[in-house]
Amino acid sequence: MRSPKRSSAKASGRTRRGGSWLLPLLLLSPALVLLLGIVAYPIARALWLSVHRLEILRPDLSQYVGLDNYRSLLKDAVMGIALQNSGVWVAGVVLFQLFGGLIGAVILNQRFPGRAAARGLALIPWATPSVLVALMWTWMLDGNYGLLNDLLVKSGILSRFQPWLAQPGTALPAVMLADVWQGIPFFAVMLLAALQAIPEDLFEAAKIDGASAWRVFRHVTLPLLLPTILITTMLRMIWTANYMDLIMVMTGGGPGYSSLTVPLHAYYTAYKRLDFGYGSTIAIVQVAILAVAIVFYLRQLRANEGMVQ
Amino acid sequence: MMRSSGFRTLLACFVALGFVLLAGAVAPLHAQSPTVVRYWLWLDDPTEPMFDQLVKEFNATHPGIKVEYQFVPLNEYHDKLVTALAGGAGPDAGRFKDWWLGEFVKLGALEPLANSIGKWSGRGDVIDNLWETGKIAAAGPVYMMPHQFITFYMYYRKDWFAQEGLKPPTTFDDFLTAAKKLTDPAKNQYGFGLRGGGGGQDQWLAFMVAGGARLVDAQGKVIVNNADGVKVNQWYVDLFRTHKVAPPSAPTDAYAQVLGAFQSGNTAMFAHHVGSSVLVTTKLGAGSVGVVPIPAADPKKPATMATMAGNVVFAGSKQKDAAFTFVSWLSENAPMDKWSGSRQGQLPVLKSVAKLPRYTENTFFKTSLDGANYAIAWPPLPGVGYVSAQGWMANMQRALVGQIGSKDMLDEIAKALER
Repeated sequence: MRSPKRSSAKASGRTRRGGSWLLPLLLLSPALVLLLGIVAYPIARALWLSVHRLEILRPDLSQYVGLDNYRSLLKDAVMGIALQNSGVWVAGVVLFQLFGGLIGAVILNQRFPGRAAARGLALIPWATPSVLVALMWTWMLDGNYGLLNDLLVKSGILSRFQPWLAQPGTALPAVMLADVWQGIPFFAVMLLAALQAIPEDLFEAAKIDGASAWRVFRHVTLPLLLPTILITTMLRMIWTANYMDLIMVMTGGGPGYSSLTVPLHAYYTAYKRLDFGYGSTIAIVQVAILAVAIVFYLRQLRANEGMVQ
Repeated sequence: MMRSSGFRTLLACFVALGFVLLAGAVAPLHAQSPTVVRYWLWLDDPTEPMFDQLVKEFNATHPGIKVEYQFVPLNEYHDKLVTALAGGAGPDAGRFKDWWLGEFVKLGALEPLANSIGKWSGRGDVIDNLWETGKIAAAGPVYMMPHQFITFYMYYRKDWFAQEGLKPPTTFDDFLTAAKKLTDPAKNQYGFGLRGGGGGQDQWLAFMVAGGARLVDAQGKVIVNNADGVKVNQWYVDLFRTHKVAPPSAPTDAYAQVLGAFQSGNTAMFAHHVGSSVLVTTKLGAGSVGVVPIPAADPKKPATMATMAGNVVFAGSKQKDAAFTFVSWLSENAPMDKWSGSRQGQLPVLKSVAKLPRYTENTFFKTSLDGANYAIAWPPLPGVGYVSAQGWMANMQRALVGQIGSKDMLDEIAKALER
């Protein structure tokens, strides 16, 4: 026998299916149109481009080339280097930003004179335009008269100036250093907000139970911060994977291909070589790799949320 | 009857008033709607006010045309131009480099200017061989009006050379000897400011041709990777790798770095063009800076690199005649002299301007103009745009850091040029 509640729920479901879905759709339509225009169309266009050879100023002469561009990827040695660099870039930058941000958030959460000013000042790197950050660090890292070299030589750590941006082994780490500096405030502010949301009585209870500062952090603070850490890390991974301004200004992907990442390779291919088809193929591959990474990450996130709850 | 006549009079008054208003409205409309020419350019120094003054002068003296201009930085110029033209929002005319000529002509984006040039009164005054810089083939049409060009020469520290008892170098051997003598890494001082970063391809080409290498043969076939090319390129790479006479930062040094290193006393020589002469002499003092032609492997066969920054009219423009009127006006005597004499200061393409004392008596202009007699430009191949934007830099840097050899580097460049 059906319960009255269930049959009433079914009836309302039928009504929704029967026609009242029109109103929600109508209300959602501006957002849907916007999404289709700014998300779906560019993706569809990139997919279309990736199977064509585009004559940029004569689109009528563009040719369908099937999967040729995807086959070319397999023979593209530069793509291999770019993928490797992108992996190092994303993993290194996000990891150091996260740790730096966590330390920053814990410090900014303490009570000390001038805390409000310190919180405001800490945001400066994040608020500084990327090109400005790139130029500033380029000159600080300059191999002839950079400030960093000067300090390292004067303090006796180095015997002579190092061309940080001109050596294959140091170019990518040097740009990563600039990006870590710029991105730490993002994590610090997000984690600070999460820290402030943790009820004070949990800390008090832990202290009354005799927990050390480390155990309080490990067993109270960290688990409660974990959802924020996971979501901000995911966001930052996506941004960092796509971010190329800093690399473009500081090294242009060089020396050689030492700091060339996938989006920069796609950009150079499309805009400098005017091969928009192959450039789009590179971008599509990056999207696919990111999508797989994000799905995997979201699964972990859900598992961890369950663990926290 | 009276009423009807009054109505007719009133109607006539309204009609008359309407005509008067209409005439009043239409007449100024015609007077105020000159043909608008949209023009794009880059400036090495965007704070230079001369171009704005020239446009104001042109608009005041050509009431039927109104030029509206837009600055685009050189690094983004090529990309923005391509995307704007593809989207139908490109300019009518623009400043243009010979680097991009082959690529844009292949794309059908440039208007041939032969007919317009035939009617232009200033055509006989242009230095003869400079028309060639605007062509794809010797017998083909001109696509680019010559406007400002540069030839590469070499700055050297006169005071340092005097202290060491060195003569200004004229050969590759003299140059290397001087560079070695003036290199002292302990003092962070190096003989030569090698530019392996953005824009370094012009400096490289100047040394390549001075060493006897060529990018293409007389038939236009790419020969940069032949034995001569590999040898000269190896010599150039060895300045950094073997002889270490260039700063360790050379692989990524761009204009700002090589200029800064010379100005701050980190390098004894660097190759550039007349556009930097004011900056160099202002900082170091005219007495400390000398200039010589690019040293040659064989002093009997001097050569250097020339590149033209001209003006083109785009094929998609609806205002081609007005656009040509403006770009041809820029190449006339008075505007040319003002432009070449400004801080942008590049070489005038008119014989009548080049012989003015301000150019013949200025050692930097004179050395540059002398270089025009034996200078070699980038060939008008479609691949030059990519090579100059990224292809050269990536491969030069790989050679400089030892990832590839001279032959591999030139094979890559040849492949890109032949695209």
